[in-house]
Order: sequence, then C-alpha cells, then structure tokens
Amino acid sequence: MQEISFRNDILPLKDKLFRLALRITLDRAEAEDVVQDTMIRVWNKRDEWSQFESIEAYCLIVAKNLAIDRSQKKDAQTVELTPAMEEEADVSGPHDQMVNDERMSIIHRLVNELPEKQRLIMQLRDIEGESYKEIANVLHLTEEQVKVNLFRARQKVKQRYIEIDEYGL
Amino acid sequence: MDCKYIEQLLERYWQCETSLEEESELRLFFSSEEVPAHLLRYKDLFVYQQIQQEVGLSEDFDARVLAQVEVPVVKARRLTPVGRFMPLFKAAAVIAIMLSLGNVAQHTFFADEALDYNYDAYTDTYDDPEVAYKQVSSALIMLSEGIKKSQDQLIADSVSATKAVEMMNE
Repeated sequence: MQEISFRNDILPLKDKLFRLALRITLDRAEAEDVVQDTMIRVWNKRDEWSQFESIEAYCLIVAKNLAIDRSQKKDAQTVELTPAMEEEADVSGPHDQMVNDERMSIIHRLVNELPEKQRLIMQLRDIEGESYKEIANVLHLTEEQVKVNLFRARQKVKQRYIEIDEYGL
Repeated sequence: MDCKYIEQLLERYWQCETSLEEESELRLFFSSEEVPAHLLRYKDLFVYQQIQQEVGLSEDFDARVLAQVEVPVVKARRLTPVGRFMPLFKAAAVIAIMLSLGNVAQHTFFADEALDYNYDAYTDTYDDPEVAYKQVSSALIMLSEGIKKSQDQLIADSVSATKAVEMMNE
C-alpha cells in the first residue's frame, strides 16, 4: 500500500465526513466539531494507517461513531421543547446554504425525518455514491440489510414527497 | 435521452437494483432542463441529491486542523558556557560603553574649566576698599566668635569634668 499523506488523502475527505456528520447531528456546528475530532483521531493513529484496508472507510466509521455519540449526548441534555424552539429547529435545518428552495427544504426535512440508519444509508448511497459493500463496511451491516434499508428509505421519501406534492399534505 | 430507458432505470432505482453508474446517469438526466412532464415530480429528489453533494465546510477549516495536527517541532538548542553568559557580557559591554561615553562627554564639555592657581589673575569683587575692609573684618569677627564659643565650651566641659573627678575622688 502506498504512502498515505494527511494533506492529500485525508484532508480532502472533510466535506464528505462533514455531510455524514451533518446527517446524524443535524447541526452544522456540531458536525464541524465532529469532523475536526475525526481528523485529529485519525492523525493520532498515523502509525497504523498502512494497516487499514481503506483509510476513507476508516474515517467514515470514526466520524459516524463520534457523531452518534455527540447526538446522543445532546439528546441526553434534556431541554424542554417549546413550540418556539420546534419552529426554530425546523428553520435552521434547511438553512444550510443552497437549500433555500421550498421544495428542496421539504425533501431535506423528509430525508432527515427518516430513522437514523436509513438516513445514513441514503446519504452514503445517493449523495456520496458509495458502493453497497462500502456502506455495509462503514455501518457494520450486511449488504442485504443495507439494500433493505435503502429500499425503505427511498420508498418513504418518494411516497411522502408525492403526497406533499399532490395534496399539499 | 431515451424516455423509456429512463423510466426503466427509475423503476429499478426504486427497487434498489441500479448500479452506481446508473444512479449517476439518473441524476444527470434530472439535472438537465428537458425533463418529460410525467417524470417532473421526481426531478427535485435527484436535484436535491446533487445539491447536497456540494455542502461543505468553511474555508478556514483546513488551516485549523493543520494547526492542531502539525504542531511545529521545537528543537532544543545547545548552550555553550560562553553562550550562557552572553546576555551578561552584553549588559556589561553596554554599561562600559555608556561610562566611557560619559567620560568623553565630560572631558569635551568641561575641559576649559580647569582649576586656576594663578593668584595674579584674580580680580577684585569690591570697588570700594572700605566696603571690602568691612566685609573682611565682619567675616573675621564671625570666625573669632566661633572660635571663642568653642573655647568657652571646652573650658566649661573641662570644669564639669574636673568637678566630676573630684566628686568621684571624694
């Protein structure tokens, strides 16, 4: 395996990791912290880089675990959900840069409403374009499970979107 | 692009049977302007996927991570005994320079005012000899008074001392 350089091989993964973390935490600042922590963890493991099958998959796994940890911790910090906050969360989510279109924000909400597993699989497959094998590796699932979850995710988003589109539900 | 083919692809996409290439083909198809009306409802789903690929971190992220990761290595510098006292030497040199400069300045500014021992060159400070005489005599009186006072004091001291000796003898 050829030499892995942090600058050229790992740092360019940042946006991918960020999108994955964002899908889990649904919060830009949190996701950014996750990516930073991931980078530092991976850097600290630099002696073992040559042993990894795929440094990208490793980074994705670390980012996923850190993000899930963080979002769970955040859930644990019980804050009473007031109607105002609920509205605020709804607004801040799709505010992410280009998602200003109303339709885009509807889809964004639909995807983020999916269960975490389905959400992640959809992110990795439809947005990052990963193979089933890679996704299965990152999420510790079998390829079959990945496919089933992806199927459910796609169906659900499609159905809900068509419902909203046709009946304005 | 062939509409039938796309419909077929889409059907397989919903069944999760498409390959990665076919999925990117679908995204490409839906990102174009001419999408048939009956497929238009799916357009946004694929446009969304494409838009989400652009989401990224802010520019300064690289710099922040690199700053944490590539901590500059601090090299230990070997100090020779001479090197260790270098600051002291420097301070001493500065003081020496200042002293010698002061010396030089004093010599240049005050060189003309050497002490004059030539009494013939002295000039009178009083025009009237009588005034001068009075001044001198009053100065001398003050001097003699001072001497007298100290003499009286001496006598008084010796008297009291002899008295004390006598008392002790008695």
